[in-house]
Amino acid sequence: MGLVKAKIRKTKTGSGASDDMVGLSAALQAADPAERRSAARRLGSTTGCEAALLDRLAFEHEASVREMLVLSLMQLGTQDAVRGLAEHLRSEDASLRNAVVEALEAMPDAVAPNIELLLADHDPDVRIFACNLLVGLAHPDVPKWLSHVLENDSHVNVCAAAVDALTEIGRPDCVPALRACARRFPEEPFLSFAIDVAIARAAEQ
Amino acid sequence: MSALASEGQGAEGPPHPLSDEELAKFSEFFYRKTGIRLDERKRYYMERRIVERIRRTGCRSFFEYFTTLKLNGAAGELEALINEMTVNETYFWRENYQFECMTRSMLDEIARRKRPGEPIRIWSIPCSTGEEPYTIAIHILEYWARADSYDIEIFASDIDSNVLKRARDGTYDERSLSRLPPQLRARYFKLVSERRWQVINELRSSIAFGSVNLSDPLETARYRQIDLIFCRNLLIYFDDVSRRLAAENMFEAMSPGGFICLGHSESMSRITNLFRPRQFAEALVYQKPAPSRGA
Repeated sequence: MGLVKAKIRKTKTGSGASDDMVGLSAALQAADPAERRSAARRLGSTTGCEAALLDRLAFEHEASVREMLVLSLMQLGTQDAVRGLAEHLRSEDASLRNAVVEALEAMPDAVAPNIELLLADHDPDVRIFACNLLVGLAHPDVPKWLSHVLENDSHVNVCAAAVDALTEIGRPDCVPALRACARRFPEEPFLSFAIDVAIARAAEQ
Repeated sequence: MSALASEGQGAEGPPHPLSDEELAKFSEFFYRKTGIRLDERKRYYMERRIVERIRRTGCRSFFEYFTTLKLNGAAGELEALINEMTVNETYFWRENYQFECMTRSMLDEIARRKRPGEPIRIWSIPCSTGEEPYTIAIHILEYWARADSYDIEIFASDIDSNVLKRARDGTYDERSLSRLPPQLRARYFKLVSERRWQVINELRSSIAFGSVNLSDPLETARYRQIDLIFCRNLLIYFDDVSRRLAAENMFEAMSPGGFICLGHSESMSRITNLFRPRQFAEALVYQKPAPSRGA
């Protein structure tokens, strides 16, 4: 018959010079995407290599390598990794921003200490992406953070992002902040409409 | 490994309760070793099984057991613990439409990419007690007309060493075999005791069984140039990071153009963008992109 018994290869362990951090960091710049991907994968279990991974992430355009860079930073899960990833929320590259949002969503404990800083960023786009990120962040303080945005942020589009988020995950105790936001922007009919929807959803919870 | 352990197995008598801190430490350790997240909702059976392992190892406290477990020399205990924490329930011909997709669509496409003499490699992970890899083998032999024209290698892996022993032995009861057409039972099994059937030697010896943790890149590095992976109902037990890591490890293990079949409630698109969905007449599967022809 066509079935033949396969042989399972022996696992290679540390493979010499290229396994050190310097060698692997250099390999992140290799011309071959497979080599860059392999280096990124190995650096995911190497403490202290966040900067090398983040530097490459800024320039990497090969999707499979980018995914590996992001995953390695998620594996490291350090504050350096989180802050470095969050910096890419400023990127003009929408796919990189989305990858960063998805990665940060999956690291709630590590991300939580950075949320207030992100929501206070000088760039309203970063604050909007931070609100987007909160929708998928499994953390008990999410409604509190979003309510704070509604009560304090001066930019209508940031508040709109927070309203969108609370439409998904709002609770009855968010309703006062939603009403306060409506009062702060009386000239924005689209926001009033969105707030009415969010309040109705929150009341259903 | 197809699910976490069910109730009713393990400890004799009521468990000694463990503190929140002890359970949190244990959960973190187990997660790092397996990629499986044991949260508060699974507290009851987690506690029962830890207490059972403490009793069987003769340790006098959780602290003593946990310290033993963390030592490198306690690899055997880690294996016993993983076996205790997982259950393995499956049967022949489960979610059969994917096997039909394999023999009617995927294998022909895989074969078109093969050079003469190059094997076709299929990986069943988690293979549990062997029903899935044997189903794959029987389907190919019965329903893929070109089976004799290729060397076909089937790898079967699980993190649980106990189920691997049972898979190698290949002996099943009526429940496991209930969906298998009777003529195939007659062809590929022999009756070994009352209502117990064993896979024939020729088939058992053709499958390469091995222990693998899918979220560990060192362990998965032993598997390369895989053309088709069946990874069904495993990723749902991983957290986001482990799930992505498992997907990356499968990506590394696969040949360009290779396929992955997931469980019916799972979606690779929610885990990573590395693979492309492929809708065949029989099933939706996921494919590792292949370089375009002429590139």
